[in-house]
Amino acid sequence: MKTFKFVLSFIVTITIGVSLNTRIGAWPPLGKFLSPFHGFWQNAENEEIDLADEIELRNLNEPVNIFFDDLLIPHIYAKNEEDLFFSQGYITAYHRLWQMEFQLLLAEGRLSEILGDKYRGFDVLKNDREMRRIGLKYGAQVSHEQFKKEEKEAYKIIEAFTAGVNAYIESLSYKDFPIEYKLLDYKPEKWSPFKCFLVYTNMHNTLSKGEMDLEHTNALKKWGRDVFEILYPERPLEEKIDPVIPRGTEFDFDPIEIEKPAAAHPLAYTDPFLQKANPEVGSNNFVVNGSKTYNGKVILANEPDLTLNLPSLWYLIHLNGPKTNVMGATLPGSIGVGIGFNDSIAWGMTNAKRDLVDWYQIEFKDRSREEYLYNDNWVPTKKVVETFHVRGADVFYDTIVYTHHGPVVYDRNFGSERTEPQNLAMKWTAHLPSKELKVLYEANQAKNYTEFSDAFSGFTGPPFNFSFGSSSGDIGMLINGRFPVKWDEQGKFLLDGNNIEHEWQAFMPKSHNLSVKNPPQNFVSSANQHAADTTYPYYQYDHHYEYYRGRRINDRLRIMSNITAEDMMTLQHDNFNYNAFEALPMMLDSLDTATFTPREKEYYETLRNWDFFSEPEKKAPSMYQQWWRNLNNMLWDEIDSSDVKVYRPSWFNTVKILSQDTNFFMIDNQSSIEKETSGDLYRKTFKETVNELENYLKDPENSLVWYEFKNTTIAHLLDLSPFTFQEVKIGGDKSIVNAASGRAGPSWRMVVELGNDGVKAWGVYPGSQSGNPGNPTYGHMINDWASGEYYEMIFKREMNESEIKYNVKLIPN
Amino acid sequence: MKLIIRLIFIGSITYFISPLAGWWMGMVAAFVVSFISPSSGLNAFISGFLGVGLVWMGHAWTLDVANDSVFSTKIVQILNQNDPIFLILSAGGIAGIAGGFSAITGTTFKALFVKPKKRSLYN
Repeated sequence: MKTFKFVLSFIVTITIGVSLNTRIGAWPPLGKFLSPFHGFWQNAENEEIDLADEIELRNLNEPVNIFFDDLLIPHIYAKNEEDLFFSQGYITAYHRLWQMEFQLLLAEGRLSEILGDKYRGFDVLKNDREMRRIGLKYGAQVSHEQFKKEEKEAYKIIEAFTAGVNAYIESLSYKDFPIEYKLLDYKPEKWSPFKCFLVYTNMHNTLSKGEMDLEHTNALKKWGRDVFEILYPERPLEEKIDPVIPRGTEFDFDPIEIEKPAAAHPLAYTDPFLQKANPEVGSNNFVVNGSKTYNGKVILANEPDLTLNLPSLWYLIHLNGPKTNVMGATLPGSIGVGIGFNDSIAWGMTNAKRDLVDWYQIEFKDRSREEYLYNDNWVPTKKVVETFHVRGADVFYDTIVYTHHGPVVYDRNFGSERTEPQNLAMKWTAHLPSKELKVLYEANQAKNYTEFSDAFSGFTGPPFNFSFGSSSGDIGMLINGRFPVKWDEQGKFLLDGNNIEHEWQAFMPKSHNLSVKNPPQNFVSSANQHAADTTYPYYQYDHHYEYYRGRRINDRLRIMSNITAEDMMTLQHDNFNYNAFEALPMMLDSLDTATFTPREKEYYETLRNWDFFSEPEKKAPSMYQQWWRNLNNMLWDEIDSSDVKVYRPSWFNTVKILSQDTNFFMIDNQSSIEKETSGDLYRKTFKETVNELENYLKDPENSLVWYEFKNTTIAHLLDLSPFTFQEVKIGGDKSIVNAASGRAGPSWRMVVELGNDGVKAWGVYPGSQSGNPGNPTYGHMINDWASGEYYEMIFKREMNESEIKYNVKLIPN
Repeated sequence: MKLIIRLIFIGSITYFISPLAGWWMGMVAAFVVSFISPSSGLNAFISGFLGVGLVWMGHAWTLDVANDSVFSTKIVQILNQNDPIFLILSAGGIAGIAGGFSAITGTTFKALFVKPKKRSLYN
């Protein structure tokens, strides 16, 4: 009896213990999670920085002093470069450990290890397979291996950063883990140099993967060349294109010539289902020189407009060492500063769009896929079996076949049910070894245009328009990246993997990269538009160049004078809706005002009186957006309902088609009997929009006030609503200079003034240095970011006592 | 009286050693104290339940007050509940149950080693 009692209570106790230590469904292990000594309570911080004043660390050579200012930006003062980057790793991990690991697990295709095969309706395993197949991990491995061999000195910096991250991870026990680890019940893993390289293939995924090659092939096969050219012209309305490199710039070099082959593109229908980058992303940068500013100094402004998440994409840091004194925004997980300034120069980046992904149709010899046809010979493939340790499920294996073009992404194991299985190999610059980490480190130390240009001409990552300004008065814009030399339309459509002439035959030499220094217009700017005018001797193509932001910025900069830093900030917040300015008048002019209902008249008046500025409190931008959306739905019904995947033309080209190609067959709506003109479409969709919005407003929660209607949301990476900020009160939208749309926008705004007496900088971003939702500062800059406030950056060789909020010393052990 | 003393011991060990050990420290405390000082099952359960449960609840409550419930208000929504009190009560409740059963296990384990006293004929 006694034994029975003991055994029974023992079993009950153990069962309770084990269940409280186990994750059940979406619930974290309750014992661990609710324990006030270990669980989530420990993540509720009452101090903004809860590090000890002095921390003893192995792997450190000399003491390092870290000062946090009011914004919690760490100012790291180290006596040697290795300690400096060790400390960058340590402090970045302190604020952003979960994020830096999570986003790279995503890139590496390992998210199912922690989220299982599904998470809130998101197919995690499929996403992981896609990431492996498009080769983000592969590209990072290739770069890492080469870098380790060839760049021994710079590699030490990466190792120091890695040691710093790991020193922080080793100091943690469960109670110190960021809250997301506790919610999902897993542990941080050791950092490695490889992960620093993944940061860059991940960046490629956001910035250089944009392409529509297969959709183009579908459209060409379905509708023929004439229709294709109306839908997707390379340079619609040339006179309106305002390129990054100002018109008239001379290109004095002999370009590499490549013959266009006689053999045409394979015209095959395919079903491209890979995820596309968020179409709302983009960026602006602009620099004015002393002759345009009130005090004769150079002023540089930049903001990358990317998907807005928390913890924020960027982390601000000031690094001060014997060789380096640089401040700005960095991607957690990368070394140095990405966008920032030092004592002598400032630089910014926007995505330089270019089609850098091409698809090759592959013919295998047989089902074994051991050989494929290349130049009419059977050539061996290489197979890699990728393993997925899916949480709560069996291990999943996926065999990826590699050709010399690249991985065969679409094949019989990864294809669509809509079409016959296709074997399509992906050629992408992200698969080639690259040394961005070294370039960045060197550029951080550059003192003038020559040093900056030398450093960044070696940049082979996702291409950027690098804007530049220096305290000696120079301004410039340099377009760097790795660009294959292409014949006309090469890679705009599916290519033949057998045909040797369809391959990339050369890369543009660095000396042919586009750049402009001190142009006569006294300013430079870029906003993802076309790179150059038609005199540029190389074929340059992308399917989604920007047509609005760049023109607005240049319109303004051409007439602005006596510019102050505040003027540059105002321009970053400019809400002029160029698309509405060009489309709305023609839409309104076509309406039949005589037949309006009172409600329709009200909408009409509001839109007529609108000045095209999408300010947060106005209602007209919401009315216009909905009308424009409905108009596009009715206009592009042929595209949306197409049996093969195609895509809608750009807004800019849509306006052109509506106003100039009035006989284009797609203007006629398929579902109606009569033949519509563009005027009919405006009239129908106007009525539809008014009805729709009036219905929408019946719910008292809903409103047409622009910022509420648009609902700019800064979402936690795990999509947890209590950690998310919604309806942020900001104007603007996609294709507006203030590019705050629903889910994307200015992820870091920076304005830097450079003169002989030093550098002054201001910045703000929608988030907080601390990534901890339990920190009192979590998301604290969001409101200031939205309303146009900036913070002055503290950038000094020595900081004043009053500027230091916390001081942490790292001491060698 | 012994119950109160046991309860205090269990509570103190839980409070002072937990930060250095895992979340299960309260269970160990309840087991050890009930092993050293055995009692009836019900008695042991009450001392374990209250000893561990009250310490967890009290400590959670103190932390929550210090934080003005800012963070617990967010966490409670993730668990699809409304009031942070839910978290404080559940912390106390689950710790109590875990502690209570550990205490029973402690006392029944001790019982395995104690020979029953032979009843004297004269008593």
